[in-house]
Amino acid sequence: MRSLVKTVIVLGLGFVLAGIPCANPAPAASKEKPIKIGFIHTMSGAMSMYGTSSEAGAKIAVEEINAAGGVLGRELKLITRDDKLSAETGLREAKDLVLTEEVDFLTGTISSAVALAISSYVEKEKKIFIVNVSQSSQITEEKWNPYVFRINTNAVPYWGYAPAIALGKTWKPKKIISLGFDYECGKNSLAAFKEKYLELVPDAQIIDELWAPLGTTDFTAHITKIANSGAEALFLACVYGGGEIAFTKQAFAFGLYDKMKMIQPCAGDVETWSDVKQGDPYPKGALATCRYPFWAIDNPKSKAFVEEHKKMVGFWPSYGAMNEYVAIYALKKAIEKVGAVDTEKLIKTLAGIELDTFVGPVMLRAYDHQAMMPNWYGIIEFTPDLPFPHITNPQIIGEEGYHTIEQIENLRK
Amino acid sequence: MTLEAALGQVLSGISLGMVWFLIAAGLSIIFGTLKILNLAHGSIYMLGGFLCYQVTSAFSHVPGVFWLALLVAPLVTALVGGCIEILLLRRIYGLDMIYQYLLTFGLILIVGEVCKILWGAGYNTVAVPWPLNGTVNLFALSFPKYNLFLIGMGVLVFVGLRVLIGATSLGAVVRAVTHNREIAGALGINVPGVYTGVFMLGCWLAGLAGTLTPPMSVVALGADLSVIIDCFIIVVIGGLGSISGAFLGSIILGLTTAFGLYIIPKLAVAFGFILMIIVLIIRPRGLMGVSD
Amino acid sequence: MAEIRAKPTWLHAPAIRSILISIGFASLIALPALIGKSWLNITIEILIMALAACSLNLMLGYTGLVSFGPAGLYAVGAYTTAILLARFKMNIVPAMIAAPIMAAIVGWAVGWVCVRRTKVYFALLTLAFSQIIWTIIFEWYAVTGGDNGIISIPTPEFFFSIVNSYYFCLAVVGCCIFTLWRIVNSPFGRTLQAIRENPGRVEFIGVNLKRYQLAAFILSSTFLGIAGSLYCVFSDSAFPDFAHWTKSTDMLVVCLLGGLYRFSGPLVGSAIYTILAKTLSKHTMHWNLILGVAIVLLVLLMRNGVMGFLSERLSRKKQARPCA
Repeated sequence: MRSLVKTVIVLGLGFVLAGIPCANPAPAASKEKPIKIGFIHTMSGAMSMYGTSSEAGAKIAVEEINAAGGVLGRELKLITRDDKLSAETGLREAKDLVLTEEVDFLTGTISSAVALAISSYVEKEKKIFIVNVSQSSQITEEKWNPYVFRINTNAVPYWGYAPAIALGKTWKPKKIISLGFDYECGKNSLAAFKEKYLELVPDAQIIDELWAPLGTTDFTAHITKIANSGAEALFLACVYGGGEIAFTKQAFAFGLYDKMKMIQPCAGDVETWSDVKQGDPYPKGALATCRYPFWAIDNPKSKAFVEEHKKMVGFWPSYGAMNEYVAIYALKKAIEKVGAVDTEKLIKTLAGIELDTFVGPVMLRAYDHQAMMPNWYGIIEFTPDLPFPHITNPQIIGEEGYHTIEQIENLRK
Repeated sequence: MTLEAALGQVLSGISLGMVWFLIAAGLSIIFGTLKILNLAHGSIYMLGGFLCYQVTSAFSHVPGVFWLALLVAPLVTALVGGCIEILLLRRIYGLDMIYQYLLTFGLILIVGEVCKILWGAGYNTVAVPWPLNGTVNLFALSFPKYNLFLIGMGVLVFVGLRVLIGATSLGAVVRAVTHNREIAGALGINVPGVYTGVFMLGCWLAGLAGTLTPPMSVVALGADLSVIIDCFIIVVIGGLGSISGAFLGSIILGLTTAFGLYIIPKLAVAFGFILMIIVLIIRPRGLMGVSD
Repeated sequence: MAEIRAKPTWLHAPAIRSILISIGFASLIALPALIGKSWLNITIEILIMALAACSLNLMLGYTGLVSFGPAGLYAVGAYTTAILLARFKMNIVPAMIAAPIMAAIVGWAVGWVCVRRTKVYFALLTLAFSQIIWTIIFEWYAVTGGDNGIISIPTPEFFFSIVNSYYFCLAVVGCCIFTLWRIVNSPFGRTLQAIRENPGRVEFIGVNLKRYQLAAFILSSTFLGIAGSLYCVFSDSAFPDFAHWTKSTDMLVVCLLGGLYRFSGPLVGSAIYTILAKTLSKHTMHWNLILGVAIVLLVLLMRNGVMGFLSERLSRKKQARPCA
């Protein structure tokens, strides 16, 4: 009996292996070839929420465009791959998408390591890669190449300059302590924040810098140290996602939100707090930045997008979803302008293009291919009119949050 | 460092340690009696968290729903553990360690994917249950009540396990089987039954830990992988199979992590591994030996 | 318990064997003409994983040393080459030769500590060292690029063509596997197998157990380093995850899948695993579930892997089954 089972297994394995090369059916001869977009994101594990959300944003755009006749009469086709938050896997999927699936464009990624790996690859293969979530400023600065574009705001404005500017306009604390995740993004965010804030408030001090390994969910020891540090304010460097929720709960339980001024970039992004109800811990009174304050955006297209996203995946849209939507429409606009899927011409068209976003036209800066997407800031409250904590009275920080072209020139030397 | 600061780090270190102990206790017992390195222990812990979330959100209108979850979730994980033991583990006892390692690794993949299918990829939160919200003031230091509760639970679990294994007749049976499986069987003890029972107890403990941590943390995918390595470190430092060792090891690791923040923050990430290696080289049976 | 070698069958007859091996060689050499670019990519990955798994199996299947941390040595090889090429702009030949040397040195240091202990403690030590290597790579941003890894590694123009890369890999992997084959079939190799079967008795006849085990560890590390270096050159990058314990489990699964007690096991296992992982993960979002179930079934039903199963079926007489 056992050997029979084993035989079946091995034969089955053999069939599967033999059948694989034959698995891909021939494309329909009658239809025009679709424009293929390879979508690589983290679809499993701890960060899969962003992958799922970004995919939804992309799918909504693709469906809308196809329903309206496609691009130059051709359908858009999205092919999704999971990078498992590993640069090795992401790179492998990118290679497969380009070589086997013959995609015309690549988009995606949350991990900066994956984004950097793919951006190095697309330079060789000469394919356009549009980033929608990955934060590292290196992607569009030191390690940039012309085939890479980025829609989302990067770590410099979002985690660094924007909170510093916001802080300089509001509380202006003199003694700050920081806590961050111990990896490149965390270190660079703190460096950017320090640089900008000390420029605006020269007599301020960062009295201590605490680091926790990436993925920590128990910050009890860090919080007790912070509580005893004598600092007026706490700055969180690149603590996001599950770690941020855990930190908020623990800090809230310790009463930190009442004792100190909290600067918590990313707290403004609602996708993290989707599940929080009135009475639960939340970043009360914290100064936060936000990348897609959809509840405050009075644009019917945005509202429809929010509804559609919620229907598709069951939670509020992340800024990643919005960015993918914008990215796909940007490709449509560029391809229609050029009249063909010609990578080199598309690069010239995309650089400096005006993006149609939910907050009006936003320029995709030609020098570094970084979209000048705004960052909003405000104080977090959990008002009864909305089912989630959010920034109140959102203010915008636009292009001034980004590195200037001169600064990038210096970094690229 | 002021007295207040030191006290703060001591308390937070013990709190950290007790959370680790709650998670690692089950692994320690399973290894002690069954001699299996259950890689999937973290997955059962994560499953416990998701079950806690499921109960608290499905019955959120019921007052005291968290305590209901505390009752239900570990029972479910114990049942899941029982199924795993009877259907899968029974066939690989006595085999080379690599088969146990790979089988339980396969379970990590399966349980993780099932959790994703059932509960999705987002973050889920569980509220701190009444009456444990708020802080307590100890010498001008405010410490959350819930963390004190966790410390208490850690001690309770430790004492409970010591009493169960050390002072009851059931415990005597388990100790007999741990000591010598063949002779215990020859004496008429239902050894397979004891194995199943101990594994279920280990999974019950994992589920308990999985239910106790969400109020001060988050329920999400990925907890299985991040937790299991820490468990291994504690179980090794304490001594494979020793509950007292795991308890002591957790406290030591917690305190060194908490004070390490003041002294050598850079080394924090590797510290557990370095300690693990030192223990394995100098005294491989850990702080408190092989069996309780 | 290992399986007793199968009684020779028609398959083992020297003439048939040489014909089969020649056909095998010929198809490997002609491969670029037969399959497309992306399949060639997959084949290169199969070759590199086959080398890594074979190296691991020297310790695992042949010496009976269960290591949970081969990925650490693999990463040492990869990063040595990566750092020498990217930061020191060295020529490719010394950069690649340095990899196995560095891996052997680290393997010697790690192995010396690990073989002091046996069984589960040995395994846990290898796991701990592998995670320390991962941590060093992750934290030492200035040298290793930290969590971003090292990318766009400058490799000679020769490697820009995938066909050239393929032949280079084939040559290197071929030589290494041939060397491993010679090692395993030498008196040294037989001693290792004896150590696996009955360490006590082997010690009794005067063999220095620890020295042989350490030698196996170092040899294994050396070839793992070569595999890592090859992968680094092939993918122009190196990432900290090369050293993560989950990568070690990939290698262990490959060995198990192919068969621990046959030399060809890891080779076959690598081919099956890589092809399935690349193709199935495209068609389903639940690849993890399928892999998990497959591993469980493998451990329960096909412990000797595919090659063990095949040789059981093809031998004329019933063989002694491994202990259930």
